[in-house]
Amino acid sequence: MAKKKSKEDYYLASQWTLMARKLKKHKLARVSFLILAILYIAALFADFLAPYGLEEFDGLYKNTAPTNIYSVYEGEHIGPYVLKITKSINKTDFTVTIGEDLSEYYKIKFFVHGTPYKILGFIPCDLHLFGVGEGSKGGTGAKIFLFGADSLGRDIFSRVLLGARISLTIPFASAIISFFLGILIGSISGYFGGVTDIIIQRIIEVIGAVPQIPLWMALSAAIPPGISTIKMYFYMTLILSFINWTGMARVVRGKFLSLKNEDYVMAARISGVSTWKIIWKHLVPGFMSYLIVSMTLGIPGSIVGETSMSYLGLGIKSPATSWGVLLQEASSVTDIASHPHKLIPIIFVTITVLAYNFLGDGLRDAADPYK
Amino acid sequence: MEALKNFFRKDLVQYIIKRILMFIPTLLLISILVFFVIQLPPGDYVSAHISALASEGELVDADYAASMRADYGLDLPVWQQYIKWVKDIIWTPTDTPYYRLYHSHHNWKFSFAYGRDVWSVINDRLGITIGVTAIIMLFQYLVSLPIAVYASTHQYSVGDYISSIIGFIGTAIPNFILAIVLMYLSYKWTGSANVGLFSQEMLLNGVHLYNFGEFLKRMIIPIIVIGTSGTCGIIRSVRAQMLDEVARQYVLTARAKGVSEGKIVMKYCFRAAMNPTVSGLGGVLSSLFSGSTVTAMVLNMQIQGPVLYKALQSQDMYLAGGIVMVQAILVVVGILLSDIALAFLDPRIRYSGGGR
Amino acid sequence: MEKDNIIEVKDLHVDIKMLEGLLTPVRGVNFEIKKGETLGLVGESGCGKSITCKAILGINEKKCVPHGEIMFRTTDDEEIDLLSLNPRGKEIRDIRGKQISMIFQEPMVAFSPMYTIGNQINECTLLHITKDKKKAKEITLEVMRKVGIANVEKRYKQYPHEFSGGMLQRALIAMALVCYPKLLIADEPTTALDVTIQAQILELMKELQKEFNMAILFITHDLGVVANMCDRVAVMYLGRIVETGDAKTIYANPQHPYTRGLMGSVHKIGGRKDERLFSIEGTVPLAMNLPKACGFYDRCDARIEGLCDKAEPELVEIEPGHKIACFNCQNPACLAHREAAMKQIKEDEAKAAAEAEENAKGGKKRGKR
Repeated sequence: MAKKKSKEDYYLASQWTLMARKLKKHKLARVSFLILAILYIAALFADFLAPYGLEEFDGLYKNTAPTNIYSVYEGEHIGPYVLKITKSINKTDFTVTIGEDLSEYYKIKFFVHGTPYKILGFIPCDLHLFGVGEGSKGGTGAKIFLFGADSLGRDIFSRVLLGARISLTIPFASAIISFFLGILIGSISGYFGGVTDIIIQRIIEVIGAVPQIPLWMALSAAIPPGISTIKMYFYMTLILSFINWTGMARVVRGKFLSLKNEDYVMAARISGVSTWKIIWKHLVPGFMSYLIVSMTLGIPGSIVGETSMSYLGLGIKSPATSWGVLLQEASSVTDIASHPHKLIPIIFVTITVLAYNFLGDGLRDAADPYK
Repeated sequence: MEALKNFFRKDLVQYIIKRILMFIPTLLLISILVFFVIQLPPGDYVSAHISALASEGELVDADYAASMRADYGLDLPVWQQYIKWVKDIIWTPTDTPYYRLYHSHHNWKFSFAYGRDVWSVINDRLGITIGVTAIIMLFQYLVSLPIAVYASTHQYSVGDYISSIIGFIGTAIPNFILAIVLMYLSYKWTGSANVGLFSQEMLLNGVHLYNFGEFLKRMIIPIIVIGTSGTCGIIRSVRAQMLDEVARQYVLTARAKGVSEGKIVMKYCFRAAMNPTVSGLGGVLSSLFSGSTVTAMVLNMQIQGPVLYKALQSQDMYLAGGIVMVQAILVVVGILLSDIALAFLDPRIRYSGGGR
Repeated sequence: MEKDNIIEVKDLHVDIKMLEGLLTPVRGVNFEIKKGETLGLVGESGCGKSITCKAILGINEKKCVPHGEIMFRTTDDEEIDLLSLNPRGKEIRDIRGKQISMIFQEPMVAFSPMYTIGNQINECTLLHITKDKKKAKEITLEVMRKVGIANVEKRYKQYPHEFSGGMLQRALIAMALVCYPKLLIADEPTTALDVTIQAQILELMKELQKEFNMAILFITHDLGVVANMCDRVAVMYLGRIVETGDAKTIYANPQHPYTRGLMGSVHKIGGRKDERLFSIEGTVPLAMNLPKACGFYDRCDARIEGLCDKAEPELVEIEPGHKIACFNCQNPACLAHREAAMKQIKEDEAKAAAEAEENAKGGKKRGKR
């Protein structure tokens, strides 16, 4: 009896429930989803999680490696603390030696007051998750740079978190724009067919044939110089969507061609339902899962696109910051060789791209719940 | 002999002609897209250039400016500008200032960034770009096909898992990042970053047999960086194709005949899996151009990527557009060739005259 | 092994290990085929017919593990257990296509679309008969002519998609017959074809059988075809043979309830218009974790409660050459089988009861402590 019930359950469950159930079985997809969730939440509360502001810098700390964290001071266990760094220049060959000032320690404190910011953009606040307070002998000026500092002495950890806001949301926003554009154009192409279809298909083919990154780069010429961060963001989203909608449109068209002669569509048409209503109420829900899969699988490409372009200085430009902008610091071999910590943002780009790929793969397997 | 006879089959010739005719509207659409890109920056091209020159303290005489405006057709409506641009590229008559200056019938306009005509800038690196791309493509197929066959015939084996994992990572890490990392590792281990396709010596004397080894050494990182993501893509798709084919009924038929497993895989499955692979050639080419652009900048390779970058930095749009157009055309030609190759390979297309 | 038997299948099982458990699509199949004889293997889809005949050739998927014995007579006084051979090895490959060959259900997908029909038939000739390409082509063309393909020279060079379904089936038969096999396995060879073409193909197979004196294992779910083609019939249900005998006997006097159901579901020309076709209720259960009961129990209209759901009937000979596996039959042999099963069940129950009691006692004792 129990068996029969579970079977019934299976047939009655909605497509989405089945998809979710199947996705839960896909371990990699589950882990990826978790990682992405953590990244997005971290980006949302970046101001709070980051000990320093985006442009906060300290000349002393230029190019320094990640700060060492200790817990034992002069044989005594006192909890995590950092030391202030010292710089000494060798007068003969002008090499800079970085050392640590052992005379006093700076304890790492939680919920400290620092650079003011606005939570979610409107609640003013200056609390940060962690930071370094005064030294044990009242000294100031020690900093905690988990990922080290860049060439201006800015905290790479804070910048990775704050940059995630742009790097993580632009591809997502462009995926959503492509999603609607794709459905719109794809359904026009699939539903009306004929000359409309031929022309749209040719356009999709041509956009698909042009190498993606060169085209994105060329489109970036449309970004006027010296505009605000928000406008820059908007332009980048549009540029990325310019190519991405084609994949979506192709899926939609294919599904339309196979579904439009189904009996239920015919029945709706005979009952006098309008074309648009047929498309949105009867056709699109039927293959929504495929669209979401194709949307997810399109995101990694956009992340790579945004990062590459910003890295080249053709996309997001300073003062706005994305992971690509951070990687500009790592453009020459000598730079990387002497400061390998500048490669840290790479880890974030790679993890995000991988996570989206795995999630997309899991979704693709789950999209056919009855298989 | 048989293949040759096939070549002259009427339906096949018709198919090829049909494909070539379909090529023309595609070219037209590409040119419209590129022209759209050229028009993107605010303001007109010549004024921007003249004001840039003026800011550097150079004075431009009014006649020169006027002749430039005429050459670009800037006083015409946009659609006429487009027609003029296409017409000039296809054929520039002998009595134009452009021909008198450059002795070329194909006016791709003038590159301010390089101070030369656009075509000569593109042409400079066209050969090396195609050559490097071809080498990487060859490498991709040489590496990926055997791995794909192995992975599909040993599904769920350790080797299959390893190739899948490497494949995933290869597709996930952006090209230029891989380039940075490899450059760093190369610097750390060998003390040289192996950057640039040619050594100083090669730039002076050209690439010959005696320094070809050095050239190949310099190709290692580009091949790995640009080739990897594509290689993984090919492995994944060929493996999936092979798995599809292995499950087909005709494999059972062949096995029931007493054909050996190895022959079944190579004669039947691999051959069938090759068709989608061949038809994916255009896409591979496109992703190679795409991947090599940023990588070339990181690795300082003497191909077209850095030229495109320089053009965009100085808003030299006719050069940028020209490069994008040439690459797009190369891709479309690649698609055309792979379609024709497919017509030879797949008897179903061959005999239906390409009713796809 | 008897002299005039070409093949003897003894207690054949096929297991498939799956994540959910062990699937047992074939559970102890026994049959034999004499030289020149046609045995019809009948049953619904999913009853294990196809897996049985693929097991003979060793061409099942890797996850299918067969055990039991399949004795095949390679020459007049030599026999070999096909299951003992490596399914990927040279020995069995020399038997496949040469001594035993197979025709498949859907001729449209049985050929690779990439190669000409001639190439694919000729492959068999080259493998088993001669390495000489010219001779091989001659032989191939000859066999193509024999199966009724007209204009063979032209047809040889054509691709599968240029053939009609019926022609493809002829080509498939040509490929199977090119080495004059001793045994031909035909897995529903006419299911995918039009009725008129079906008749032609069947006629062709009969003719060729006479000419080459080969045995045929004919698998089908079409009882009409069986009546037309077969000398003997084996009815299969849920991985077992439930009734076997001469075709005439089984048609005239089906004994197993499942066979009776099958016969009742055939439309008879000249029957009354308002006569409803009989249908067997329910579906074949999944062959996984099967209880110790008759596989047909749930769907049977002649089941005996307390017996059929507790024991599985064995094949019992009720008249010479006619065996059934059913408890509910008035034949003395059957009744004896039923008695024995009843006795066994009682014994088992008594044993189980005793054990339970023992356990209960033990439990009490333990409880006291």
